[in-house]
Amino acid sequence: MNAEAILPYLIIIPLFGAFSMPIVSLAGKKAREAWAVIISGATLVVASALFYHVWDTKEIIVYTLGAKTPFGQGVDFPIRIVWEVDLFSAIMALTVAFVSFVTVIYSIDYMKHDTGLDKYYTLILVLELGMLGIAITGDLFNFYVFLEIMSIASYALVAFRNDTWEGIEAGIKYMFVGSIASSFVLLGIALLYGQYGTLTMGYLAIKLLQNPTVTAKVALALFIAGLLFKSGAAPVHMWLADAHPAAPSSISAMLSGLVIKVGGIYALARILFSIYSPLGNKILEVYHQPYINMSAVGWVIIIFACLTLIIGNAMAVIQTDMKRLLAYSSVGQIGYILLGLGIGLTAYGSHTGEVALAGAIYHTVNHALMKALLFLVAGAVIHEVGTRNLNELSGLAKTMPKTTFAFLIGAAAIVGLPPLNGFASKWLIYESSAIYNPVLGAIAIIGTAFCTAAYVRVLYTFFGRPSEKIANAKDPETSMMLPMFLLVLAIVVMGLFPWQISDKVMIPAARMLEQFNFEYIKALISLAGGA
Amino acid sequence: MGLIVKTSARAIIPLIGIFGTYIVAHGHLTPGGGFQGGATIAGAGVLFLVAFGLNEMRKHYNKHLYSALEGLGGLAFLGAAMLGIGTAFFYNTLWHNGPILNGKPGTLLSAGFLPIMNLAVGLKVFTGLVSALVAIAMYRRWKS
Repeated sequence: MNAEAILPYLIIIPLFGAFSMPIVSLAGKKAREAWAVIISGATLVVASALFYHVWDTKEIIVYTLGAKTPFGQGVDFPIRIVWEVDLFSAIMALTVAFVSFVTVIYSIDYMKHDTGLDKYYTLILVLELGMLGIAITGDLFNFYVFLEIMSIASYALVAFRNDTWEGIEAGIKYMFVGSIASSFVLLGIALLYGQYGTLTMGYLAIKLLQNPTVTAKVALALFIAGLLFKSGAAPVHMWLADAHPAAPSSISAMLSGLVIKVGGIYALARILFSIYSPLGNKILEVYHQPYINMSAVGWVIIIFACLTLIIGNAMAVIQTDMKRLLAYSSVGQIGYILLGLGIGLTAYGSHTGEVALAGAIYHTVNHALMKALLFLVAGAVIHEVGTRNLNELSGLAKTMPKTTFAFLIGAAAIVGLPPLNGFASKWLIYESSAIYNPVLGAIAIIGTAFCTAAYVRVLYTFFGRPSEKIANAKDPETSMMLPMFLLVLAIVVMGLFPWQISDKVMIPAARMLEQFNFEYIKALISLAGGA
Repeated sequence: MGLIVKTSARAIIPLIGIFGTYIVAHGHLTPGGGFQGGATIAGAGVLFLVAFGLNEMRKHYNKHLYSALEGLGGLAFLGAAMLGIGTAFFYNTLWHNGPILNGKPGTLLSAGFLPIMNLAVGLKVFTGLVSALVAIAMYRRWKS
């Protein structure tokens, strides 16, 4: 199978679905729901095929838009937009497509009381498109365009229920913060373009190593600032705690499971490892050339990670609103991923760094699955009972047993109980952080202690004495249970083979990201000399 | 609005429309293109809305039609981008291989799929902006 031939369909199919949605929805309600499910299902098939191919061959796919090769006639630098897919990109694309598919199925019944649903399905497909684009792109400005597509779709979806005050408030807050963050990223791109005259990530990496200027450092600072905003790291996590509870639950699942990871973590990892090559800067340092100290950058990320870990998880313990608790827990989990990423950068080149990076990638996928599950459960509870207040939800296990079971699995996975998938990824992060610096390991453990306290509190509520509010509640219909069941299945199956997945998928992904052989740059350069 | 404004609008709206169409159609030859031309035509729509008022606009505006046309603009863009999918996404096969739109550079029918894309973007921008502005103009009332 030719992977280059199927890669553009990852963008074409959701784009086609989104553009044709206004026309299809003239045929009625059933047609647009079926259309959304078909489109996101087809995207999932393409993403799986892509992932399998990249995983199987361990090669980086480079796809050029507009011609066979990104290099122009008679010039030796890339002039066209390229898409570069390594294993980390493919993992993200698969996760995005899977979680989007289950949330689209879930939306059919969850959103049936709302109006304007043709816009809803268009936006959800556009959101998926933006995230897939970020995952596969190898061009800095193309990355920015997809980042904005994703961000604007998510602003609109957070404020989708515009008859509720909190939807509007959270939407405005998210939009202001997100636009500032995006403008930081754009400013960074403008600085890099002005200094080096190229926007292709792989080629920019070469130019940066030839001449690491102050401009490059300023641009890096702007990228880190903007993308930490987008990922909801500690001092700027407030928008997240408002946006996730206010959005419809299917959207909270996508925001928390995907948007903050693809737009924040993945983009940060791509910029730090693929553009600001840590290996190249190490070599420059050895030869006493000007260089960018990437291990200092790693420490900056570690500091934010530790703050995020403690603040996010500690704030989760004291919440009484179920979705707000889950939102703060997402902030806490982002802290773990950032910790893995930061150690991967400071301990670059050592086994510890590689394990930390693999743990971060693994935890990104795991947290996407389990947080999507938890938000879908929260949505089912709100749908049936009509309240998010934990004090009113006691005894839910009696009337909604299947939903409570799904929550139990999700909560156990996020805390990191051994038979489930959260265990392995957190273990990799604990292990590497404890080896690298015991203080960081201790901070990670404290974060988990808070996280456990928060989830035990929720479970305690669920298994308590039934209150009169929940007397008439029952498990939701099949189309809402099926997505939860699929996610539970994914969590349990991934939990059964933690080390196999780690060795076969996550460690190779981390190794490809670290590019000890400049693979990312070489994959681009190998196309030179074509027509 | 008053009589003078309405009469001038009657005269000017077609001119703005024609000029906007010119900008869209000559996107590959002169400054401007799909977005600029589409926004110009949408300016004609805004002038209609302001000069003749919301009630007149309601009679001439169909939400479903504009929504479908906006989707159609996007689909036409995507379709043009996919013409050369055998070589690459966005490969300008009309320019390289014909059969049409591969005339001498500088003439109207010369830029491969670019005029199609400009028309598609122009349609999308025009319908999108008009829909957005009419939706805002129709927004319930001042108080709650």
